[in-house]
This record gives sequence, C-alpha cells and structure tokens, in this order.
Amino acid sequence: MSEMWINMGPQHPMTHGLWNLRVRLDGELIKDVDPEVGYLHRGIEKISEDRHYNEVITLMDRCCYVAGFAWEHLYTIAAERALHITPPERAEYLRVLSDEFQRIASHLMWYAAFVQDIGLMSPFLYGMRDRDLILDLYQSYTGARMTYEYFRVGGVRSDLPPGFTDQARKVLDWLTPRFNEYDQLCLGSDIFHKRCDNLGVLKANDCVAHGVTGPMIRSAGLKRDLRKDRPYSVYRQLDFDVALADSADVTGRYLVRMEEMRQSVRILRQVVDWLDHHPGPVIAEELPRWLGAPYAPVGKEGYLLKRHYPKGVGFSAVEEPHGEAQAYVVNEGGEHPYRVKFRSPVFANISAARQYMVGYRVADIPPIMGSVDVCVGEVDR
Amino acid sequence: MATPDSAEEKPRENPVLWVARPMATAARQFAKSLFRPSTIIYPYERLEDPKFRDRVEVASGKPFGVGRVWDNYRGVHSLNIATCISCNLCAFSCPDICIDMVTVAGGDPKHPKKCPQIDYGKCSYCGFCSDACPEGCLTMTTRYELSTPKRSEMIYSPEKLNAVFHSKLPMNPIRLARPDNEDSILLDPPLCIGCNACARDCPTGCITMLDIPKPEAKPGEKLPRRIWKEPVVNDSDCVRCGTCISVCPKECLFWGTRK
Repeated sequence: MSEMWINMGPQHPMTHGLWNLRVRLDGELIKDVDPEVGYLHRGIEKISEDRHYNEVITLMDRCCYVAGFAWEHLYTIAAERALHITPPERAEYLRVLSDEFQRIASHLMWYAAFVQDIGLMSPFLYGMRDRDLILDLYQSYTGARMTYEYFRVGGVRSDLPPGFTDQARKVLDWLTPRFNEYDQLCLGSDIFHKRCDNLGVLKANDCVAHGVTGPMIRSAGLKRDLRKDRPYSVYRQLDFDVALADSADVTGRYLVRMEEMRQSVRILRQVVDWLDHHPGPVIAEELPRWLGAPYAPVGKEGYLLKRHYPKGVGFSAVEEPHGEAQAYVVNEGGEHPYRVKFRSPVFANISAARQYMVGYRVADIPPIMGSVDVCVGEVDR
Repeated sequence: MATPDSAEEKPRENPVLWVARPMATAARQFAKSLFRPSTIIYPYERLEDPKFRDRVEVASGKPFGVGRVWDNYRGVHSLNIATCISCNLCAFSCPDICIDMVTVAGGDPKHPKKCPQIDYGKCSYCGFCSDACPEGCLTMTTRYELSTPKRSEMIYSPEKLNAVFHSKLPMNPIRLARPDNEDSILLDPPLCIGCNACARDCPTGCITMLDIPKPEAKPGEKLPRRIWKEPVVNDSDCVRCGTCISVCPKECLFWGTRK
C-alpha cells in the first residue's frame, strides 16, 4: 500500500484541543508528521494593545485555561518591569502560592488526560478528583475556579480569607500520599511500561535545537528550570529540587511531572508557613492612579492629558507547567501597552513533533502527544 | 536506553494483595452506595445544599467541602439602585464593554438617573466593575445559573439586578481599599470659562462653583468673555470618575497631585 496523509484533528480525541496533526503513514509506520495550529487564534496580543494594563490580565486566563495563573504571573512581571513598579513581598508569596498550586492542578489535568489516552480510565477520575480540591481553594480566595483575574500589576487583588492556610495544609496533606497512588496505578503496571518505554525519544541536544523546554527537556536529563536558572519572584528563597529523568521518552516525562508535583507540595508548605507569619500589604502603594483605574475617556490620549509618564520595556520568563513562557511588554507612555508579545512553550514543543514521532506506529501517537501536554489556548493565543 | 522502570528496583508486593486490595475497595464502595445517593438530580437538588455538601464531604473523605460556592464567588451582579450615584465607573472599567448606563425611574427629568445594565452574553465575570464601584452598590453574588431560551434575556436591566440585591444572596465580601496617593482633579485657571458643566455633571456633587474677583481691565486690554466663577473640588468626596474632565469644553481640568 502506498503512503498516505491522515488528519488527526482538529476534532480528534488525541488532540486535547483544537489543532490538527497531519500524519504521513506507510501502513502503520509514521513517515512524517506536520502539526497544524491556528484554529483557536483570538488575537490576544492585538487586543492587549487596546486594553489597560490590568485589563490584559483577563485575557491571560484565557491564554492557557489549565494554567491561567502562570500566564498572569508572566504578564504581570513584564508589565511591572515596563512600568517600574515593585510589588510587595507578600504579594510575591501569594503569586508563588497560586503558581505552584496551578502547577499541581495543571499536571493533574495532564495526568488525567494522558492516562486516558493510553487506555486507563480510573486514574482519570482520580486526577480530576484531586484537581477539584485545588480549584475549590482557588475559588475561596479569587472567586473563580478557572478564570481567576487575581493578579494585578503591582500586587494581587486581595488577601487570603481567614482560615485559608489551614485548608491549604489539609489539601497538601491529602495530596502527598496520592502521588504514590498514581505511581502505583501506572508505573506498577507492566502494560504501562510496554506502552510507554522508549517511545517518543527526544534527546537533550535535539530539545535545545528546537527550543523544547519544560518537562520534556528535563526528562532528557538537562537541568533547565527557570525557577533555578533565572529565579523570578521569591523562588530564590525557597528550597526545592529540579525534577530530572534521563530516559528522554514518555515514561521519563511522566516521572518528571510526578516529581514536579511532589516538589510543588514542598514549595507550598514553605510558602503557606511564610504567609501565616508575615502579614502585610498585597499591592504596591506607589501605583500610578491611571493604572487600570477606570476614568472617563478624554480626547485621544485619555488620562494622559497634560501629564507625562515614564516609558519602558519589560521582559519576563516564567517556568510554566508546560515549559518556558516569555513575555515582552512595551510601554510607550500610554495607559495601554504599546505592544505585547508572548512566547508559548507548547508551540515549540509540538513544532518539534517530527523529531520525536517519525519511526513510531500509529497507535503510539496518543501516548506521545499526551506526554507533550498540549494546551492549544496558549499556542494560538 | 535508560531504564526508567523504578518498579524493578523495589521488591514486588505480594500478588495476593494486588487482587485483594481492589476487591476490598470495590466492596467498600458498594457498601457506601447503599446509604448515599450516587447521583444528585441537579436542577432540583444541588451540591451546595447543606445536606449534600456534608454527605459528599464525609463520604469521599476529602479535606473540605466539594461543590461549595464560597461567598466571594464572582457570579451575577447585584445592584442597589438606591445608593448608586451614576458615576459610570463600572462601565469605564469593564474590559468587555458589556455595561451600559441606562435611565431608571426616580431621577429628575433634567438629569435622569442612570444605572448599569449588564449583558451577560459578553460578561467575563472579572469583577473589575465591583472593584471600581466607589459606593459598594454593585457587587457580585453567588448566583451562577443564567441559562435562558432567549439571548435577549441575558441582558439584565438595573431593575433585574436590583431584584438580585433584594434576594439576599451571599455577596462578595471583598472591598478594595482606595489608594492613599490618588490623583486629584486640578484646574488650569486661565483656560476656565466658568461654564458650570463640571459641577452640573459631577455624580457626587463635590464640585462647587466659587466666585472669583473680576480683574480690572487695563487700558487697551480686553478681558476674556467668561463667567467669573471657578470650580473647587472637594477631594474627600470625589470618587475620581473623571466625568468633569470629559465634559469640560475647554480641557482646563486635568489629573494631578495637589500641592
């Protein structure tokens, strides 16, 4: 039989989102792949140019719907650097608290989807069950379960409600033994290993060449984690290890994500203890009044009538659950950012699909793409 | 290749346990299912009802309530028309531009009272409007059910939002403190013509027009044609909505720090 192209997507259980993986097959053998993205493009970068600095944060939650806090953090750091604002320390800890819970929630979501891809149904339910606890926590202090809109340029919206830290500790205590349970369900099974070992191998040098980051590069044995390499926020004060594996395959990515969740629990315990003993303001005091504050629109330049504000540019790089996300904000002195540019880690990760997919079989596609953890919202923006 | 199989390093468990453990779990779940409902018939019963909440919480062994809607949930807005001052701040702050200020009954005919009308087809529930509300009359409640057969019913008029206020739902307790270093409304005196537009449209009535002395015209010099009054802003009452700046015909009001 001659070779043929097959569309896996945009509506396919494998894709976890709206994108298309074109596969050239020779029988069962994958000869070539061609990822097609762009079905979910909403023009977030362009819309940002017409929104106040704080209003852009509502768009960041829609960038990646399973890791909204990571993107809010990314944008707020860049905007604060562009506007020359320093957030108070308690706000930084609240951000790390949100970030790390988000990392666990995102990895649990990945775990639930990934194990379902390889045919295990009950771990899916366990993953979603435990993720729900984190969403409940989020709701208790942000007021929403997925679109938080909690960070502000210069701090966060509000402080924690009373009794939050006790509940957070309960959730952490609940989660800690669960990771071993997940491992038992997957790693304890020979079927899992037969399905996933030596699959989708992408070596460290290929990762670097294609800009692949996050758990994929760490599963190849390269110690690259922005929280350690370029510490942002308060990660310098926190004690944790970088999760590593050396097999560079699907099982390696599984191991890295599981270890990352354990490390996140370790970080969260320190953060929760710190928050208990250090009350303080959660938003910077020296904020310019026009920053996201509503006012009646005046003329062409609005609030800037007869005033002069400093210009600047801000760049930030954040270790998102999927990889390294980067943002660039240009402040030309207006109340809107002049230009906002994002770098999505998943875009690079799935762009390298040809490197880790050619040579395997059709039935290997769901586990390989599942291990990449695709979030199309941030790929297309 | 590397061997990621960590199970090989650990001693394997007794295979009997591998069978016995799931069987025990299944038996336990079966026994539980005899005493609790596994399905909640949603529109008639809901998870946040106390009886279900406690039962689910206990049965699942989870740390705290499942399906609980916290008081600071950002759901449908509630509007207290009586305390609304029509300052427009909610409409200005909306990133989705889903708030329209519409006339409500009760204002005087010359300057009708305007209150927010929210299009929930567009609303993203970000809470910027309730954060911006200086009087605390626009807040968000725990109501989350909005499905209607018609799109037009997604538009909530001020009266409908007022009914939500009177339904005594739990309301978002978060009130943001106003910053200390807020800008004030400043005046560029030579440009002012004393037209009274700012004082007329100020929602809080914090602008008063005070008389200023009419200067003596020097020989050969022409005095500007104007009313000899100037606005004075009471900073403690001002909610910083900027309405006065936007209505000023001469652009003589601006934001700045009062010396």
